[in-house]
Amino acid sequence: MTDRRAIFLTARREISERARSRAFLASTALQVAIVVAIVVVASLTSGGTDTFKVGTVGDEAGAVTDAATAQQEAFGVELDVQTLDDEAGARAAIEAGNLDAALVEGTLLTGSGPSETLTALIQQASRDVAGTEALRSKGVDDQTIQAALQPEPLEVEELGEESSGGVAFVSSLLLYIAIISFGIAVAIGVVEEKSTRVVEVILSTIRPVHLLAGKVLGIGLLGLGQLLLIVAAGLIAAIPTGALELPDSTVSTAVLVGVYFVLGYLVYACLYAISGAIVSRQEDVNSSSAPLTMLLVAAYLVGISASNDPDSTLAVVATFIPPLAPMIVPARAAQDSLPAIELVISIVLMVAATLALLWLAARIYDRAVLRMGAPLKLRETLRLVR
Amino acid sequence: MLELSSLSKRYGDTQALDELSFEVEPGQMFGFVGPNGAGKTTAMRIVIGVLAPDSGTVSWAGSPLDIEMRRRIGYMPEERGLYPKMRVAEQLTYLAELHGLDSGTAAENAERWTERLGLAERRGDRVEELSLGNQQRVQLAAALVHEPDLLILDEPFSGLDPVGVDVLSEVLLGEARERNVPVVFSSHQLELVERLCDAVAIIKDGRLVASGSVEELRTERAGRRWLVEFEGEGGGGGGGHWVPALAGVRSVSGSVFELDDGVDPQRLLDEARTRGSVRRFGPESPDLAELFRDVVADDSQALEGQPL
Repeated sequence: MTDRRAIFLTARREISERARSRAFLASTALQVAIVVAIVVVASLTSGGTDTFKVGTVGDEAGAVTDAATAQQEAFGVELDVQTLDDEAGARAAIEAGNLDAALVEGTLLTGSGPSETLTALIQQASRDVAGTEALRSKGVDDQTIQAALQPEPLEVEELGEESSGGVAFVSSLLLYIAIISFGIAVAIGVVEEKSTRVVEVILSTIRPVHLLAGKVLGIGLLGLGQLLLIVAAGLIAAIPTGALELPDSTVSTAVLVGVYFVLGYLVYACLYAISGAIVSRQEDVNSSSAPLTMLLVAAYLVGISASNDPDSTLAVVATFIPPLAPMIVPARAAQDSLPAIELVISIVLMVAATLALLWLAARIYDRAVLRMGAPLKLRETLRLVR
Repeated sequence: MLELSSLSKRYGDTQALDELSFEVEPGQMFGFVGPNGAGKTTAMRIVIGVLAPDSGTVSWAGSPLDIEMRRRIGYMPEERGLYPKMRVAEQLTYLAELHGLDSGTAAENAERWTERLGLAERRGDRVEELSLGNQQRVQLAAALVHEPDLLILDEPFSGLDPVGVDVLSEVLLGEARERNVPVVFSSHQLELVERLCDAVAIIKDGRLVASGSVEELRTERAGRRWLVEFEGEGGGGGGGHWVPALAGVRSVSGSVFELDDGVDPQRLLDEARTRGSVRRFGPESPDLAELFRDVVADDSQALEGQPL
């Protein structure tokens, strides 16, 4: 049997067994639901483009709504203008909720609690129309009037990163959940094989390093698949609601989430595999893996702080610490606060750490996996490396 | 032929195996017996390659066992080893693939063995949902599903009901007789070993204390035990018993006596004649259980004699 076949067989078993498990299906469904809910809630509460239905009665009012429609983009709204026959019809339509507002001979009728943006837009349009009339009657040509009353709108430069903080937060959260759940799955999988002694049967046919590689690969592919599904569900949910304006960095952040899941998962999967290999009973794996879980929680907390303050010293330093970087780098990138050189250095360090840990885990696993008895202490574990 | 030569293994202060050597012929049913902690499991784990000996070698057909050849072994660990949540047929197919079979053959074999062992209805069940008896059958199927060239079974009969024992015996004999596969198994059920095995190895404290065919061992040990039955009071084996007035003769049971070295069995016959007309007289071969007790006890006596 080739090495590749051995790894393929064990990876395939991990995927086919786990993908059908109720726990996996439930956690996938739950996370998709949560991410979709976050997107929907965000789109309902965020600014976005509102559409207003406005009725007009008479030519004068029509001229105002035309002027308003011409400026609607600058106000971030969209007007749906309907021409009505008389004031009574307009009042009835507003009371029935079919219209947001109606303009009748110098009066703006609105429902209760009118949108300030809408009234400001109509008022502005009304001033423009009146001004145009006045200037035209003085013989000023249209081009001059246009330049005077409707200059090129000011360019708006938004400062601060508020709008992308949400994406940063969600990316840290997703990576945290994915790495911790699939990392622990590796530890539990390793100790399950030990405690049921099936590992003896398996290792009479293939080498320990191939069993480990297949397990890490299989669980990792499943995790990556789940993560992609969740991210895709979130992005798709954002399309029909339309109102949600995702920052430009969203797509590159999504790519980084994928990259850092792979690297971060490998780092932690190696460590979790060791924590499973050094114990013999299911009940001991919680305590042997507790330091890793705490490390992950710490990384997540740094990730949250990076979502709020991506340029803090803590966030910058954590970018270069492989066990912390997965929850920090995509969060910083989402807010455009990650210089390319820092990203490159971070990835190089992650890859180096991954390779070193793969070597270390293979070596310890090879020597510990068939050993039964009391959990190994840290010093005993490190002695296995030699 | 499977050959274990001078296997030694030490765990801390315990010498688990001490220069253990024996051979198993093709098609042979080979019983591996010894008290608990004698080193049977250690030896088997070394053979299947999950444990490395400190010294000594295991060879198959003249060359050292490597992982390719080890894939041709069917192994049943003492504490059993299956994925509890995996379905029966998928698990057997997977194990057969790991042993080097292509997926098609693996699935066919899984189907055939589940059929043969009465698990056809259980193919889609998870192992943990099965009764203990059926789990044992799956374990047996797992050892056989890749058509192994050698079977190594650690306590395969423990925990089986009489029907399970019969099924397992029949399957193992079939593998040995029809496919010429050497079958090595450990067991504490000595009557079973005696009934099934062509040859045995008895080990204690990691050392081989006796090995060979059951017949050989019995004749080797015969000569010290004699049976004598006569017409008359206490002479028939049942009921009461008689005590010969001879030095160096001990009663073992009813009408069987063990003679010390140098005691002429004819004197036992002479005394029996004075009590009645002798019906049967001859050397008595011990059964395996007696033999086992003998060699294990001899050994401990020898140890007791040593200065501490």
